[in-house]
Amino acid sequence: MNDQRIDGYARALFEIARAEGTIDTVEDELFRFARAFEGNDALRNALTDEGIPAARRQTIIEDLLGGKANNTSAQLISMLVGSGHVAELPAIIDRVVARASGAKNLEVAEVRTAVALTSDQETRLAAALTKATGKSINLKVVVDPSVIGGVVATIGDTVIDGTVRSRIEQLKSRL
Amino acid sequence: MSLLAIIRIASEEVVLDSKGHVTTHSWIFPEQAELIYGVIASCLIFAALIKFAGPQIKKGMAARTARIQKELDSAAQDKASAAQEAAGIRQAKGDIAAERARILADADAQASSVLAEGRARLATELSELEARAQAEMAASANRVGDELRAEVARLSIAAVDQVVNGTLDAATQQELIENFISRVGAAR
Repeated sequence: MNDQRIDGYARALFEIARAEGTIDTVEDELFRFARAFEGNDALRNALTDEGIPAARRQTIIEDLLGGKANNTSAQLISMLVGSGHVAELPAIIDRVVARASGAKNLEVAEVRTAVALTSDQETRLAAALTKATGKSINLKVVVDPSVIGGVVATIGDTVIDGTVRSRIEQLKSRL
Repeated sequence: MSLLAIIRIASEEVVLDSKGHVTTHSWIFPEQAELIYGVIASCLIFAALIKFAGPQIKKGMAARTARIQKELDSAAQDKASAAQEAAGIRQAKGDIAAERARILADADAQASSVLAEGRARLATELSELEARAQAEMAASANRVGDELRAEVARLSIAAVDQVVNGTLDAATQQELIENFISRVGAAR
C-alpha cells in the first residue's frame, strides 16, 4: 500500500472516531492494538493469513476486543481486516494517532519500558519530555520486555534511549 | 731314318716261336715297327693338338690373363677405396673426438648453469618458504588471539546478560525509570 493510501485510511478512521466523539479513547486503543499486533506473532499471522476468510478474521477481532475496548475501535480494526489491509494496520494506526495528537497540538512520544509505568510516572515523564523537547507530549507507553530495563522515548525523529538493552549492546559492540 | 727304311722295318715279318706265340727280340724295348708307328702317331697327335687346340688354349690363356688383370685392377681399386674410406674414418674419428670434446664442454657449461640456477632458485624458494611460514605463524598467532578475544567477548556477553537479568529486580527497574525521568527533565 502506498503512503497516500495509508494516509487516506488514517484520515477516514480519524474522522469516524472524531465524529463518534471517542477520538481520545479510540486512538489510545488503536495504538495499543497496533503494538500488540507488532509484538504478537500468532495474532499477526492469524490476521494476515489470506487462507482464513475475512469474516473469520473479523470474528477474531470481535472476540479479542469485544467488551474490552470501545466499540468504535473494534469496528475500525475489523474494517481494516475486512478491507484486506491488515498488514498496514500499524502504519495506518500510527497516522491516526499522529493526526489525533496534531489536532490537539501534541507530539506523540512513544515510550517503551520493561515494566508498566504508574500514572504518576507517566505524568512526570510526559512533563519531563515536554520540558526536554519544548513540545506538548501525547505519551504512549508500550511495555516491551526486550528493553530489559530503563526507558526509551521516541518523539518524531528524536530518540532518548536510557535502556539497559542499549547499554548492553554498546558493551557487546565494544567487546 | 728314311721313310723307306721305316716301311721296310714295318713290313718285317712277325717271328713266332715253336708254340706259335709272338716273340719280341727284347723284353723291355718294343719292336722297331711299333716305335715307328708310335712316333708317327704321336707326331700326328701333337700336330693336330697344335693346329686345333693351340688357338683355343692361347685364347683361354689370354682370357684368363685378362680376367686376372681385371681382378688385379679391381683389387687395386678396392684397395684405393678402402684406403680412402680408412682416411675418411680416420678423419671422422678425429671429428668425433672434437665433437665429443665440444659436447662435453657444452654439457659441463650447462651443468654449471643448471647448478647455479638451481642454487639460486632453491635459495629463493627457501626464503619464500621462510617468509610464508613466518606469515602463517603470525596469522595463526593473530587468529588464535582473535579467537581468544572473541571467546572472551562471547563469555563476557553471556555473563553480562546473566548478571543483568539476575540483578534487575522491581526496585532496580523503578530506579532506572526514575533516573530516566530525572535525567530527561533536567536535560533542558
